[in-house]
Amino acid sequence: MMKTYFDDLVSGIEAKLDADPASRSPRKIYALEVARLGARLYGGEDRVAWCGVTAPFDLLAAMGVTSCFVEFIGAMLASTGMTGTFLEAAEHAGFGGDTCGYHRSVLGAAKKGVMPVPDFLIATSSPCSGGLAVMENLARHFEKDLFVLNVPQEPSAEGVRYLSDQLREMAAFVTDHTGEPLDGDRFRLAIAHTNRAREIMAEAYRLAQAVPSPANGRLMGNFGIVMALLLGTEAAVDIATAYRDDFAAKVGKQGSGIAVERLRLLWIQNRIQFKNPLVDILENEYGAAVIADELNAITWDPIDPEDPFTGLARRAISIPFNGRIDRRIAHLQQMARDYRIDGAINPCHWGCRQGTGARGLIAGGLKAMGVPVLNLEVDCIDSRNFSEGQLRTRLEAFAEMLENRN
Amino acid sequence: MKAVPDRGIIGYTCAYTPIPIIEAAGFVPYRVLPMGDAPDQAGQLLHDNLCPHVKRVVDRAMGGDLPALSGMVFINSCDAMRRLADAWRNVRPQDPVIFLDLPATHDEVANRFYASELKRLADHLAVRAGIDAGEMDWQASVNTFNRLCELLAACSTRMRAGRLAGGRAAMQALYNRACTRPAAESIQELEMLLETHETDADVSPGVPVFLFGNVMPDPEAFALMESCGARIVADDFCTDSRMFSPVALGSDASVFQALAGSIAQKPPCARTFSPKTPGRMAADVVAAARECGAAGVIGHTLKFCDPYLARLPMVREALNGEGLPLLMLEGDCTLRSIGQQRTRIEAFIEMLR
Ligand code: SF4
Ligand code: SF4
Repeated sequence: MMKTYFDDLVSGIEAKLDADPASRSPRKIYALEVARLGARLYGGEDRVAWCGVTAPFDLLAAMGVTSCFVEFIGAMLASTGMTGTFLEAAEHAGFGGDTCGYHRSVLGAAKKGVMPVPDFLIATSSPCSGGLAVMENLARHFEKDLFVLNVPQEPSAEGVRYLSDQLREMAAFVTDHTGEPLDGDRFRLAIAHTNRAREIMAEAYRLAQAVPSPANGRLMGNFGIVMALLLGTEAAVDIATAYRDDFAAKVGKQGSGIAVERLRLLWIQNRIQFKNPLVDILENEYGAAVIADELNAITWDPIDPEDPFTGLARRAISIPFNGRIDRRIAHLQQMARDYRIDGAINPCHWGCRQGTGARGLIAGGLKAMGVPVLNLEVDCIDSRNFSEGQLRTRLEAFAEMLENRN
Repeated sequence: MKAVPDRGIIGYTCAYTPIPIIEAAGFVPYRVLPMGDAPDQAGQLLHDNLCPHVKRVVDRAMGGDLPALSGMVFINSCDAMRRLADAWRNVRPQDPVIFLDLPATHDEVANRFYASELKRLADHLAVRAGIDAGEMDWQASVNTFNRLCELLAACSTRMRAGRLAGGRAAMQALYNRACTRPAAESIQELEMLLETHETDADVSPGVPVFLFGNVMPDPEAFALMESCGARIVADDFCTDSRMFSPVALGSDASVFQALAGSIAQKPPCARTFSPKTPGRMAADVVAAARECGAAGVIGHTLKFCDPYLARLPMVREALNGEGLPLLMLEGDCTLRSIGQQRTRIEAFIEMLR
């Protein structure tokens, strides 16, 4: 089922691009590469590793392993409207509705045989406790070996050394399971791709900060987090280039990502992954463009190809979901300044202790610099209790409040 | 026993806290238990979906329901604890806070890192105490702590034999006192208690059950379970014996490495697991229930606790496979929440008879 889905998606986008090369939008190129990744994960030919969010996907790519964080599958199932059955399967197996929907849907998919059996699994302690637990459950379910990366909370010298030591051990673990040692040249090439993509993504983000912004909620949704999956490959460089060039062209013409930009919004943490009209309502009815997602930012330095494990460790530690909340708040404040944000939306995904748990502190931190935050009550994966009417009313009130301030 | 210099109180909230380090610096370790009457205010900072343990602790901080503290030690045990440390810094900015990054899995590399975290704690406390960390008497504080653990274990054995007045509820009261006052005071109390003649064996005729979960500090909660016909033959919570497992200093490793190694050997809660044996917690629960001869198992966990929520299905499956009945209860740290489930507990015990 999933294999057919991804194969059809790949061939559909390729056919469209062949028929009409002018339709090569950045989002299409991004969607194509993501679909290709899905096709490889489900194709049955590649070596596959299910991972946690902060795994080093570039290192894994350099070692010939197709890898993906499992939450991506949860999001994908939700976006295609298929997740209901899997959530129910997980709940039936005892995973209660108070846990994160990303994890519940993946566990349900595994139980229903819709997740390919991996060669091994790599869990990461960041961003969340639920993420570690789901990997333990999956390792047990698939009866496959599990490696755990404990991502320290702070980038202290000891923390960075600890994680880089673990990354070296992880590479040995991968070799044990694939029979292939880490090839220095392939690794260097992957790091070169990562650094190049990083540089171009930084340019794209900088261009997205223009007034009006060339970005919009559709173009940028889930961008930063999903791009992590493609780092280390040419695909990441191609996608970043497409975004950068598209934004540069638009900025050159004072073009806006939406019809008329009146308000500029920052989206905190998770997008609502199932089909819903909220971003369209904001952008079309209120001219409130969602120009940035929290993870659409570069929080790490280029990786030194001569000391790659240290750079990879620093990168994993740097994500805003890791560490003290003041670090995350400072990151959001910086984004709000860079993007000249009028307001922020925090969907407060129900099962997320890591993110939603701190919503009061986050709202306080942004409010202190004059950026109001709208906290919504949603489950970003589980649409069963989605109350569009109520949310629409809250968005409208928020947009009106922001307009009255301007 | 050496007298503890009065350098103040250091608060903590997790059973993984390295108590001997706090004592070696001359501070009294004080566990901020999720109890008391502080008004419910944590919701102003934390979402409703955080575990009630963390919310009650924040309520206590916001309500000023705490002794004078010289600082707080938090452990990176779960998402909720990280958010607790954040909230604490916000609510009580005057408290020096140290946050220890405890890995979720243990091996040599993890222990090396955690040893550096423990050293960071010792250095931090030494500065606060105005002493040289190198002068801390580790052996003395470890001996004191181990003595406390030994006495609590002896009381627990007596309690299991039905020879501790007040039974499991009284035992919990001992644990609660032991984690909130100077070790020397508890040692004195426990030694006196153990020196007194044992009460006649008063083994309740109840059905033997094994109890496990995360946080259950209210002595009355145990009394309530027993009043439903359960005889608690063994239990495992982060608010009882898990806090008090002896540590070894060893001879060949550094103090901090030895302490890190001891912490890695502690009876784990759900947040710690072994990648080599995924689902080990399920096997541990089965083994503990078998060992104590329980006829059934009662799990009591707090709402929204991810480490437990995600492991309970495997525990259920494993117990099922062994033919050991399980009753799962979810609570919010109040006696009321357990009381509301009295009928379910009674029905479960009846079923086991
Ligand atoms: S939404 Fe929160 S709990 Fe769920 S995977 Fe993301 S960080 Fe983890
Ligand atoms: S009860 Fe669970 S969620 Fe709460 S602090 Fe303990 S381990 Fe964390």
